[in-house]
Amino acid sequence: MFRLIAKISWASLKRRGIRSLMVMLMICLSLWGLVFMEGIYDGMIEQMIGNAIRSDCGHITLFAKDYRLDKEITKLIPNAAILETDLRNDPRIKGVNTRILQDGLVATAHYSKNCMIVGVELNSERKNSRLDTYLTEGKFDFGKKSKGVIIGSKLAKKLKVTIGKKLIVSAQDVNNDVSSLALKVTGILRTNNMWLDEVAVFIHREKVKKMLEINDGLTQFSLLLHQQEDIQPLQKELKEKLPSLDVFRWDEIYPALLQSRVMMTGFNMVCNIIVFCIAGLGIFGVMLVSVMERLREFGILLAVGTGFTQIRLMVAIESLLLGCVGFIGGSLLGGISLYYFQEKGLDLTMFSEGLEAFGMDTIIYSVIKPEYFIYSFAAVILATLVSIIIPLRILKKSKPIEAIQKI
Amino acid sequence: MRFLEVNNIKKIFNPGEDIEVVGLHDITLCIDKSEFVVISGPSGSGKTTLLNIIGGLDAPTSGTVTLGELIITGLSENKLSALRRDHIGFVFQAYNLVPVLTARDNIEYVMRLQGKSEDECRRRTEEVAAKLGIVDYLDKLPNQMSGGQQQRVAVARAVAPKPKLILADEPTANLDSKSAENLMNMMQQLNEDEGITIIFSSHDPLVIGKARHSVVLRDGRIETEHETLDSDS
Repeated sequence: MFRLIAKISWASLKRRGIRSLMVMLMICLSLWGLVFMEGIYDGMIEQMIGNAIRSDCGHITLFAKDYRLDKEITKLIPNAAILETDLRNDPRIKGVNTRILQDGLVATAHYSKNCMIVGVELNSERKNSRLDTYLTEGKFDFGKKSKGVIIGSKLAKKLKVTIGKKLIVSAQDVNNDVSSLALKVTGILRTNNMWLDEVAVFIHREKVKKMLEINDGLTQFSLLLHQQEDIQPLQKELKEKLPSLDVFRWDEIYPALLQSRVMMTGFNMVCNIIVFCIAGLGIFGVMLVSVMERLREFGILLAVGTGFTQIRLMVAIESLLLGCVGFIGGSLLGGISLYYFQEKGLDLTMFSEGLEAFGMDTIIYSVIKPEYFIYSFAAVILATLVSIIIPLRILKKSKPIEAIQKI
Repeated sequence: MRFLEVNNIKKIFNPGEDIEVVGLHDITLCIDKSEFVVISGPSGSGKTTLLNIIGGLDAPTSGTVTLGELIITGLSENKLSALRRDHIGFVFQAYNLVPVLTARDNIEYVMRLQGKSEDECRRRTEEVAAKLGIVDYLDKLPNQMSGGQQQRVAVARAVAPKPKLILADEPTANLDSKSAENLMNMMQQLNEDEGITIIFSSHDPLVIGKARHSVVLRDGRIETEHETLDSDS
């Protein structure tokens, strides 16, 4: 019987082919657009989070107690070498970057700017966080005798320096004296982490240690993990094990990025409500006209003994077919588009100035999450079912004999 | 107990309004099993209204209709629907086939509703189609058939589920005289072969002439009722 009911539903859709096709297309195109937007926006946020994790804080960051409240160079993590070895032996940790951070001043012959001196081991940064991939000019190298410096792109622009130019970097050492270093620019980075691009001055870690007269200790341990799920348990474990240190997750260091991710969830919900409304209104229109046009046909079916449950099923199948074909089309187009831009990236170079001002990449790699399709499927199904309530009420009220007598 | 009893049926249209119309006045009628009955009378005499009430498609203002031992007046819409599905076949003046289904699907439709198997439906459809001479049209849609062919499909749809009662509302009204005569002969044959009680409404003399039990309505009242005894009874 179900086959016959489905056959009537399908034949009724075919009978009004153009109208049915228009609604399917409407659902398909709106779903395509919305799934695409969700994937691109999510990709944008995930890239911003990824940049912050890779270029700065890792998944978990260790500082000396209260360093973030008062960034004194004397607030160092003691016994750094032993701790580093311990952390590297943890199977959950993919890599450890160790840094010395100190506020300072960077100057050329004509300009000077405040900066953040970041003492790093380039090999470790390259291996663990692929920092070299952010290089836009020069080499990812400090050159002979480590006299080179790699700086953020915005800082380079403000200082009007290019590769090979000289810089003087000054900062207060552990004895409260001012120390300086003369360095040559060997590389320029654009991480799209706004803070780093504007103030970071990457110098060889041992050189910074010597400049600031640090005998032992480091400012920051940045841990990159294999699994996102390990972040919270490992943070808890490290807090218990290292009570003299501050242990932060990436979202505690960059709460605005977490907020952006939460906002995306809200945005996705709004998208699904839009899909629900578009699908619901489209299907409602078609189903209402379809039922009104076929009152006589339904009257015949009721007269020969069709139960109202079967009539309801017939209308529901018709409506679901409209919704599901639209959903399948929209999901396929959306999925294929997102896959393409996940591989190739969406080049938004023409908006680069605006995007960089917000710390966003100019090439966006979309993400594909199953929930885009699950939630929009739920929205479409809900819309198809809600949209037939009124047509079914009209049918329920009509008496078979009155319906048959309609010409 | 008679097969079908219609007791004091009264039907008022638009009750309580200015344009109140009395469609049927206290109609009482008894019909036996396997009868071939015609309800005739001029237009507006109440023939269709009476058939609709007997078939549970319309409710009387007062009075009762009893089919076998079941009083059908006052039954819920669901029960009436099940009653029509299992025990009553309808043949309408305007054929009323489902336009998107082929003749075969139209004929099988009620049997499918009854839950009969696909094989059983197919066998029975072909059996009835052969009797009514519509085997060649089984895979055609209603709009690909003539009026006479559509009406034969409608009769097949009514007969195939083996109902106790067939109600045919002016089935020959839209047919030419040859098609009408053919259809009446076929229905008479089905009545004899299958023992189904058939009630027609018609003012076609051809139909009236075939009936063994004739009821004439005028202005919603039974004007005359006439039963012819079979020659062998």
